[in-house]
Amino acid sequence: MSDLLAIFEYQFFRHALAAAVLTSILAAMVGTYIVSRKIVFIGGGITHASFGGIGLAYYMGLNPFTGAAAFAVLTALGIEWISGKGKVREDSAIAILWSLGMAMGIIFVFMTPGYTPNLMSFLFGNILSVGKADLVMLLAFCLLLILFFAVFFRPVLYTAFDPEFAKTKGIPVSVFRYVMSVIMALAIVLSIRTVGIILVLSMFTVPQITAMLFTRNFARIMPLAALWGVTGSVIGLMASYILDIPTGAAIIFFLTFQFLFIRILMLLRDSFKRKKKMV
Amino acid sequence: MRQPLVILEGVRTGYFSETVLEGVDLEIYPEDFIGVIGPNGGGKTTMIKVILGLQPLFSGRVIFPAGRPVTGYLPQASQIDKRFPITVKELVSSGLKTRRYWFPHLEKKQRFRLKEMLAEAGLSRLASRPIGELSGGQLQKALLCRALIDKPQLLILDEPNTHVDKQFEQELYRWLHDLNKDMAILLVSHDIGTISPMVKTIACVNRKLHYHPSNQLSEEVLKVYNCPVDIIAHGPIPHRVLKAHDHE
Repeated sequence: MSDLLAIFEYQFFRHALAAAVLTSILAAMVGTYIVSRKIVFIGGGITHASFGGIGLAYYMGLNPFTGAAAFAVLTALGIEWISGKGKVREDSAIAILWSLGMAMGIIFVFMTPGYTPNLMSFLFGNILSVGKADLVMLLAFCLLLILFFAVFFRPVLYTAFDPEFAKTKGIPVSVFRYVMSVIMALAIVLSIRTVGIILVLSMFTVPQITAMLFTRNFARIMPLAALWGVTGSVIGLMASYILDIPTGAAIIFFLTFQFLFIRILMLLRDSFKRKKKMV
Repeated sequence: MRQPLVILEGVRTGYFSETVLEGVDLEIYPEDFIGVIGPNGGGKTTMIKVILGLQPLFSGRVIFPAGRPVTGYLPQASQIDKRFPITVKELVSSGLKTRRYWFPHLEKKQRFRLKEMLAEAGLSRLASRPIGELSGGQLQKALLCRALIDKPQLLILDEPNTHVDKQFEQELYRWLHDLNKDMAILLVSHDIGTISPMVKTIACVNRKLHYHPSNQLSEEVLKVYNCPVDIIAHGPIPHRVLKAHDHE
């Protein structure tokens, strides 16, 4: 036990813990929108396309996260634009941007002379390398997002649920859709640091579906998803230390395990109730 | 002189380069109850979207002589995601037009109206339930409340009688009959047999619009209008629908 507590003395671990908590809160808010609108696939497209930006930034000697953010935002806006125009099938467009981004990333990283960046840390995350500046950025974005949802909760909900109807009531639907696309892209890129490109999508879906076992109310799913996100990722982080396994993967594993565990408990409870009724 | 709420003038529209509607002229008056019939793909829903300002026009005009009327819109059931995490209360209040749409709280007046609307539809007890827990009829009622909460001058309903039981359908028609005293109603249905006795006039949409200034339709008229309707073409026809009428 004292071993476990000793880990908190390390600054890198405290940073990692803070990153896990902040990423969970961020992902809870944005993920609720993604899951409710059934646009998880768009999230996947944005995530993977951002790898192209990371590669390009490396090649040009820029900050890789700036590159990722630029590619993610452009992809998100592009997908929203395509889905509005409807000339190309949306899912095909997403798949194209998804693999094009990955391909570009690999080409640029390959072309970068000399030092080859650690690809693994982008693909699978490296929460233990999170610095103070990253945390400040995560915190600032979290606070901004809480404010945004507090102010614009209703129009965001209405445009997500039934955009055509919302339009007839004078809500600027496309403005909200595009703003939400940008928010999605930035939230995803900020979370890549914690769990990596390949695993990030689970942070935006698993705590939400866990929360949806308890409530089907959009406003309640958000805080509940944050709670499940925090517990799952903190347990994952601790487990990765104890078992000496990769952190990102451990977080995703425990988020999913948590979901299954609660689901099974609920099923057992229901069957127990039914039996009791029969007796 | 009576003034129409909406005038469609030579409207031509469609998707990409394909024309779905052309040469559509229609005037909707405040006391109208128009049944819109026509085959699938004939452009019924597209015409509704033109009136609602959701569908860009290739040519023609939509005129609102007294300014854009307050509209209430009930979309087709298939447009609604029943598993979306939204409560009945939230769903119904999304029908309130407000310039102050930021901040999650409704104004006092709006909260009162919401309560009143839910009570009128008998949905008060379900207010905090997510829509996924409602029956087909209850959901349709909630959607109708969303359309009505703003006290519209023009109520537009797209196939309100799909996925609901007969009892709800009867209730719906009684409700619409009362509502028509205060607002114009445009009701789209593929099922002319049921809507014909309650509407005042019939518009048949099949790429073009044919306006029939009464609610009585005969097979001949539908043939002339080139407006095949399922129940007429394939099924037994309730005789109340197909009374012979004198201006033939």
